[in-house]
Amino acid sequence: MGIAADVLAGRIAAGARAITWLDDGDPRGAEVIKRIFPHTGRAHVIGITGPPGAGKSTLTNMLVGALRARGQRVGVVAVDPSSPFTGGAILGDRVRMARHTLDPGVFIRSIGTRGAAGGLSRSTHDACLVLDAMGFDAVIVETVGVGQDEIDVVNLAHTTIIVGVPGLGDEVQAVKAGILEAGEIFVVNKADRDGYEATRRQFELMLHLREQARPEEDWSPPLLRAVASAGEGAAEIADAIAAHRAHLDSTGGFALRSGLREREQVLALLRERLARVARARAGDSLLDDVEARRLDPYSAIERLTGGLDQEG
Amino acid sequence: MREHSGRRLRVLLAKLGMDTHTVGITIIGHALREAGMEVIFTGLKQTPEMVVAAAIQEDVDVVGISTLSAGHTRNLPRLARLLKEAGAEDKLLLAGGVIPEEDRPFLLEAGVGKIFTMGTDTRDIVRYLEEWWAERQAAETV
Repeated sequence: MGIAADVLAGRIAAGARAITWLDDGDPRGAEVIKRIFPHTGRAHVIGITGPPGAGKSTLTNMLVGALRARGQRVGVVAVDPSSPFTGGAILGDRVRMARHTLDPGVFIRSIGTRGAAGGLSRSTHDACLVLDAMGFDAVIVETVGVGQDEIDVVNLAHTTIIVGVPGLGDEVQAVKAGILEAGEIFVVNKADRDGYEATRRQFELMLHLREQARPEEDWSPPLLRAVASAGEGAAEIADAIAAHRAHLDSTGGFALRSGLREREQVLALLRERLARVARARAGDSLLDDVEARRLDPYSAIERLTGGLDQEG
Repeated sequence: MREHSGRRLRVLLAKLGMDTHTVGITIIGHALREAGMEVIFTGLKQTPEMVVAAAIQEDVDVVGISTLSAGHTRNLPRLARLLKEAGAEDKLLLAGGVIPEEDRPFLLEAGVGKIFTMGTDTRDIVRYLEEWWAERQAAETV
């Protein structure tokens, strides 16, 4: 098939079309993955996540510049929320990355969540595989603005950067937030703003508690400051990414994470496929019965999955 | 929450040159989103070259240019030509904003697919895109 070969040759239009197919659930997308999968597993996937307004896009823009300056080719997958009502979306992350538009060593793709929870779209993993196969050395995945537990990116990325910002939420909020339990690099962005010191102290406290709780952890997450709009902090973050990559390489963690990610992807695809099959098999009558309260949801599920359960 | 899957119309909206009037393009972006489309904004001060590169990376179906400060007789034909050179002439090129009557035949001749002038109801733009999209999909499945 032509498109898969063109993806492997690094052709931008082919990669872009493959990502569209995968985003749309077009069967041609799966065919491309079958062809390119043996050639993937090389790109360093870097997640960037944090609350809305933390400056993730501006930070991504700055990081693209820093990685380019170190000779890396960089792909970006920028995820923005789709409307749960219409399915439409405003995808505006690349506005902040406009200066990289004409750089042939940079590929930026905007994706809507299309109903997926967790801060990513269902297609994000596959989009990363396409960019990997196209030969990009680093793939940056920028999540939607997240709250406390939308941390799917942690399973996808080799290195996750958590971006915080002064003046958002109180201390309790920061400590209980699941988002701070994940991540390998922490950045307080907009560090020129009031409240920077307080936010930095909160992060320090949280990282300290984390280290106490997990003495076996062999990576100590750095806490960095940035003013991404002014380009401040770029070199330090790029250094931290390189250090984490070196750590992963020396401990076997890079291949381990890549492998676990693909394992998870199989299970995610399986869940999706089985749900579709079961749904198609059900028709509407069982759902109608539940809607009319003639049947409870658990009994409906038992009937829908009865055959499958016995086989298991 | 409804399940949304399958093909979805993707539209890139951009402004060229030093034109910084963003009200119209923002309103149109939101109207297209409400109609279930994915709208990619690229920001201000774009060159035709930047719009073409972004349109290909984003694999959009439609490129919409808002123009409110002249320059359109120069940069819109240039954009159409660059799209063609990049093998992306199947993308629909829309123009909207202040475009004098006397310029329109020339622009349509030069590769602009459709022109919406000031005061166009956003519902008319949505309807036009939905019809264009239905025709395009019908042609694809033949």
